[in-house]
Amino acid sequence: MSEVLRQPLLASATATERRGLRSFLPAIVAVGGSILLVLLRLQLGGAHFISDEGLMLLALACYLTAAVFHLTNLYAPSEMAQKAGLWLATTGVFFNLSSWGVRWINARDMELAAVLKNGGEMPWFFRYIPFANLYDLSLAVAFGAGITTLLIANRKSFRFLGAVTLPLASIILVLARFIGSEMANLPPILDSYWRPIHVGTASLSYGVALVCFAVAVIYLLKDKVKPEAFAIWSSIFALVVLAFISRGSIFTAGVYRASAFEMMGGKGSSIPLRVTLPWVGQILIVVGLLLAGVIAAFGMYLAKNNEKARSWGHRFLRLSFVALACAIAMFVGQVKTMTNIVSRIDTAQYATFGKWLAEQEGLKPEQVAQIPSSQLYQAAADFVATRGNTLTLNLKANPVELSALITALVATFFVILFSFRTERLCEALPSLEKLDSLMYKTASVTFALLAMLLITGAVWANESWGAYWSWDSKEVGALVAWFTYAAYLHTRIARGWTGRRSAYFAIVGFLLIIFTYLGVSYLLPGLHSYA
Amino acid sequence: MSAVQEARKEIAVSIERKPRVSVINRLMNQLSSVRFGVTLLVLLAVACMTGMLIMQQSVQGFDKYYAELTPAQRLVYGNLGFFDIYHTWYFNVLLMTLSLNIVLSSIDHFPRAWKFISQKKLDATRAYLLSQKLNNTINLEGESHEAVVERIGNACHQVGWRVRVALKDRRAVIFAERGAWNRLGAYGVHVALLVVFLGFFMTAQYGQTGQMSLTPGMSSSEITGLAFHLDQISETTMRLPFTVECTDVQQKLINKDGSLSAMNTMDWLTRIRITDETGSHDALIHLNAPLDYRGYRFFQSSFNSTGNARTITLELNPQQGGEPIEVTIPRNGSAKLTDGTEIEYLNFLPDFTLQGGQADTASDEYNNPAARIGITLPDGQAKAVYAFAADVPDNAPVGAPFGGYKFKLKSFEKAATAHILSVQHDPGRIPFYAGSAFLILTLCSVFFFSHQRVWAIVEEKETGTFEVVVGGDTNRGRLNFEDRFKRMTSSIIGQTVKVQS
Repeated sequence: MSEVLRQPLLASATATERRGLRSFLPAIVAVGGSILLVLLRLQLGGAHFISDEGLMLLALACYLTAAVFHLTNLYAPSEMAQKAGLWLATTGVFFNLSSWGVRWINARDMELAAVLKNGGEMPWFFRYIPFANLYDLSLAVAFGAGITTLLIANRKSFRFLGAVTLPLASIILVLARFIGSEMANLPPILDSYWRPIHVGTASLSYGVALVCFAVAVIYLLKDKVKPEAFAIWSSIFALVVLAFISRGSIFTAGVYRASAFEMMGGKGSSIPLRVTLPWVGQILIVVGLLLAGVIAAFGMYLAKNNEKARSWGHRFLRLSFVALACAIAMFVGQVKTMTNIVSRIDTAQYATFGKWLAEQEGLKPEQVAQIPSSQLYQAAADFVATRGNTLTLNLKANPVELSALITALVATFFVILFSFRTERLCEALPSLEKLDSLMYKTASVTFALLAMLLITGAVWANESWGAYWSWDSKEVGALVAWFTYAAYLHTRIARGWTGRRSAYFAIVGFLLIIFTYLGVSYLLPGLHSYA
Repeated sequence: MSAVQEARKEIAVSIERKPRVSVINRLMNQLSSVRFGVTLLVLLAVACMTGMLIMQQSVQGFDKYYAELTPAQRLVYGNLGFFDIYHTWYFNVLLMTLSLNIVLSSIDHFPRAWKFISQKKLDATRAYLLSQKLNNTINLEGESHEAVVERIGNACHQVGWRVRVALKDRRAVIFAERGAWNRLGAYGVHVALLVVFLGFFMTAQYGQTGQMSLTPGMSSSEITGLAFHLDQISETTMRLPFTVECTDVQQKLINKDGSLSAMNTMDWLTRIRITDETGSHDALIHLNAPLDYRGYRFFQSSFNSTGNARTITLELNPQQGGEPIEVTIPRNGSAKLTDGTEIEYLNFLPDFTLQGGQADTASDEYNNPAARIGITLPDGQAKAVYAFAADVPDNAPVGAPFGGYKFKLKSFEKAATAHILSVQHDPGRIPFYAGSAFLILTLCSVFFFSHQRVWAIVEEKETGTFEVVVGGDTNRGRLNFEDRFKRMTSSIIGQTVKVQS
């Protein structure tokens, strides 16, 4: 464990001028500007106004560009790069919040047309607040991360933080893009004033946790954790992704199968029928082998200080990055261009798909269990034969899988980047003490916000359906994350744990939050299936 | 000196004084230790994760999940209580032990925290100040002792610290602080958590939850609860201390031509009349707006999706010619025409069909809506007939004219056949809410504020020359404290200084 807090540090008293409202100008400009833009949208109508999805894409572009400037500033410090990074991040937050606000108005307009046509009552405005699905939540989480970055940037020494937080916010927006921005009628149970309170708190807490995670990673880097150790962890993460995507078929069958997308009446939805994408699985196997090589080589280097192994490890790492980029490009390209997908559906999955079809017809599990597998197979075959022309491929069919692959790619990229002139990078970062202090502060805020998230959710549940705690997967996920941050704070306050151990806690806490945010929504059943 | 360091010193001293510790004390020390608390948190997190990953028996779809498990999995998970882990004895023991740990560790640490308020450290040595996280030594010249002390006091006051000065001969100790109460915030959080746990316990022990299906015109004084045992679900009945009569159900649709599905609904409204020894009370329950009555809460829960009509509008075409008459009748209601004919709204079928000569509905959807109405003519002759939305020939077996009128269902307000209310009796709600509100307040007080302390010792070295040693620390918010400290030292000397941290 590092003993950073005992190291002396000299600081100039005049270096810290009094920070007034002016130092928060970027955050104020971003929020104020978006409010004005949303009001403008309300005034002008939606016919010739930029769409919420367009604004989201602009936010994504700004975040990525801002991150590039922040990274440039870390390696080659310049006032211009720092300012450009800050104001591009500000613009990104402005577009991000504007996208969310314009979506609010769009949702209202969409439903209002139907309601007024029928002579119905004018619904209350907060009914349309965009916290109705995972797309909305992702927009808000990215905003939470962006605005926290801007607020922290009121201290010049922390402006570099955007170099890590903004790419993470970008990944969340990419995920949102893949989930799709289609609006659906609001499930009535969600029409409560507790929804903006609860989901708003959730997005902010997730956003602050993301920043805390970024600070923890940077802390470890500054604390001389070798990039090779980072590489091992990022490779393990990437291997876990490869093991779980496509229902584990990469390592068991050597192929990648993407979910089919069924288009019915202008609307599409993902169905549990997988289409084999040529070459993607094979390239991903190569990626897996290279990542295993990275782990072995860097493991040898860290254990025995073997320089040759280190050199090979870096080669494997770079090759795995290139191979993963190729696999993703191949994935996207084939999803966009492949036409006759029926011929690429493996018939081995017909029996399982037949079960799903039977369940869709309302049959109970015991009834489905009594259907002979040949009949289930035939039902699936009939479905493919009769409705094959409605089946297609779409990036929205596998949002989490694609986002997980992109996250693995970004993580590998950052490890490669951090391996480059690491000493110089560390010099540009603030002191360990300051980073630790910021990590503690963001973890404290996350802890308080998660507590509010749990409480507001409990109150909402109790006011809506009479049970404040149902042990629902998402509730429990948030509770476990809260326990982790509680453990972080208690070990720090009462046992003086700081530095690396705190950083590991912060990283675990954030991973649990991500699991609650995405894993629970996609993998586990529960009351929060909408988000 | 931080709380941790102070605590460590005190523990070290106490260990020196008491070399032998009894078993009970050791047990109590263990139970009250933060390390044990963190271990309990980790164990609870593991149990919760298990409950997340293994589907719980009360979750919808458990029967399917259970059916797909292997016999070995069923046996192992079942014996370990994994299908209902949150109600197992070991989970409850973990929760209770955590509560005990919170209580004992609070009792253990509170006196030390209280000292920050009751016995403020107004004096300090030069060595103590130089051991602080932030410290500085400043030499000032050409001023009086009082002027230097006043300048330091003002500098501390300017940055928001409360100042106390102790003068002793040629030495002055200035103590400044802010947010001393922040030291107690953590104990407030612990109290709030215990109140939340108490509410949770009361709900689990004394709470009742059940459902009540209400069709207009019907009444009930019972609710039905569900008990889960693996993939078997059984029903239990509980009596209410009053009777609930449904007077009306209404469903506000987004698209009135659309279906009754939840996605096309804005709100469900159920009007009820509660009767007990205090009399009759009319009430309305709609979505997200529960009704509270005598400790019971009524919520909208679900609905019977068979299409029905809250009101029907009939078009009566006189067979002898003349203008058609329009009549609107509410569910279970009636209307009287000017000629004395009485029309009663008896029933509604959304997809009319004849099965074995009996009228029935072929589906829940409004494919062929028909209202069954009772006609009583002025001469007392009565008959039930069907009014269809679709055109029906005069010689049809149903829907034939009666009493000189041909009846047509012109329009109707769609509504569900019955609403299902969830009824909750929860004595733990108030402690839960109170604990939650207190938890939010105390968390904010803990994490958005801090206890900052600064001491300055002013000593006159030679006539007109003073040495000022300044040092201080904070329990959290170090960056903010650093800013204040630097502003304070700058303010004392009015120029650039270096601060040792």
